[in-house]
Amino acid sequence: MQATLEIKFESPSFAKRIKGMLGVDFYRLFHTPLFYIFLAIAAIIPAMVSAMTMMPDQSGNTMEPLYSNVWQIIAASESLYVINGIADYANMNMVFIFGGIMVSIFIGHDYKSGYVKQLFTTHAKKQDYMISKSLVCAFAMACMCITYLIGGTAGGLLAGYDTAVDVGSLIIAIVGKIIMSLGWASLYTFLNIIFRKYFGISIASSFFFGTGILIIGAAAIVENLSLPTFSSIYSCTARL
Amino acid sequence: MNAIEIRNLSKSFRGMYAVDHLNMTVPQGAIYGFIGENGSGKSTTEKLICGHLVPDGGEIKLFGKDYTDAGVRVRVGALIENAGCFPGSSVYQNLRMQTINLGLENPDEEIRRVLEIVRMQDSANIKFKSCSLGMKQRIGIAMALLGDPALLILDEPINGLDTDGMRIMREILVDITQKYGCTVLISSHILGELEKIATHYGIIRQGKMIVEMSAKELESRARVFVSLKTKDMAGAKAVLTARYKSVKEEEGFLRVYDVDDTAEIVEYLIKSGHVVSEIKKNKIGLEEYYVELMSEKEGE
Repeated sequence: MQATLEIKFESPSFAKRIKGMLGVDFYRLFHTPLFYIFLAIAAIIPAMVSAMTMMPDQSGNTMEPLYSNVWQIIAASESLYVINGIADYANMNMVFIFGGIMVSIFIGHDYKSGYVKQLFTTHAKKQDYMISKSLVCAFAMACMCITYLIGGTAGGLLAGYDTAVDVGSLIIAIVGKIIMSLGWASLYTFLNIIFRKYFGISIASSFFFGTGILIIGAAAIVENLSLPTFSSIYSCTARL
Repeated sequence: MNAIEIRNLSKSFRGMYAVDHLNMTVPQGAIYGFIGENGSGKSTTEKLICGHLVPDGGEIKLFGKDYTDAGVRVRVGALIENAGCFPGSSVYQNLRMQTINLGLENPDEEIRRVLEIVRMQDSANIKFKSCSLGMKQRIGIAMALLGDPALLILDEPINGLDTDGMRIMREILVDITQKYGCTVLISSHILGELEKIATHYGIIRQGKMIVEMSAKELESRARVFVSLKTKDMAGAKAVLTARYKSVKEEEGFLRVYDVDDTAEIVEYLIKSGHVVSEIKKNKIGLEEYYVELMSEKEGE
């Protein structure tokens, strides 16, 4: 047996740990075709939607336009944070659905390939993985927002939509969506780690949360339950 | 200092102990052969050491520090179940990711170094999915070797390898310990191969460590025996049993245990009217020791 050597152990700082983890995730992101495919999808879909709504059908009539101006494609002319129904996803919000699917595949691949074991062997803190994945996935979604903007604007201009918009609204809209990406990315990362052994459930949960179907569905059910209002409860208790 | 020191380690799944109050000591610089039947708790123990699972109780110390210490963990490399590589990426890309993860300063130099150790310096641009099983195992070891690990944990790295692959793997493991002073914990079912390289052994059964010993201790515990063949095996056995304590008919041979004087046995058999057609001296190896130990435990 070899004579024992003096081994030194230096604890890496949080910054060094997170830098390593982020470095790997960004390297993977830029080396995976999936990222570029989703960027392309985010650009093509709004262009297709806006162009197709202006096309004449078989009888020669054009369809009722889905938007009245280019910026509605990115939801800049209306309230940004309120989603009333599934139709509200026919704008930049659909990036969050693409993002959910991308995060599921990204994290699913980490676990399926066993790479996560390499990470967890050398990284004692598992929260580093969560933080890094959330940030990188938020970055990917932010990139999708930008390609969506480019695709949507190009499609809208080609389709001849009005381009009048307040520049402040536009900037706030884009920044707002990018900030929202971070929230969505964290949620998706969390869901995917919980369902890491079930790839199908990971994608399905990301889709249901990403589209807001769960929340919209729950709201629709509650609305139809005819629950008593606060005023009726108050009047009942007052009479007692 | 010991590289690994485990005291009373337990882990259960659905109320069943996979690791049951296990104690284990791996000296620094050793190649520790971790042996046990399927489901005995080897992989679970290795996963616990690597932090992939959370123990129910007990203590794991690596180089005298708690196993969760970030400073120690960056000096641990592991190959558990698979290499942990992305199939669509090249060997170089997979290793590059690990160098980034570890924050290594000269990644290309480091990648060249580990590929040389695993004899794969010409395979950097091959996609991982195109590699053979033997190559994948070696890439897994290369991944684990990045960042100059002080401890390497290898789960069945020689399973499924051909004779040449096993020889290469054996050379690699000896290199790692002798040149780089790395401690290796290796589990395997191929005891004959393990015996050629291990300096220490630990035998686990039903989640409990039943014996730990060095290769020298195994050597001193090993029984010698003479195996022989005659035309009349039954008659020869009866004659030998009258003189020697332990005579068994095994694998087509008569085995006379705890005796190594072949001349004495031949002379005795000839005098008794038996002609010896084949005779050789043997020593119980790791495999026979393990089988014997397991049958003793089953009998308890």
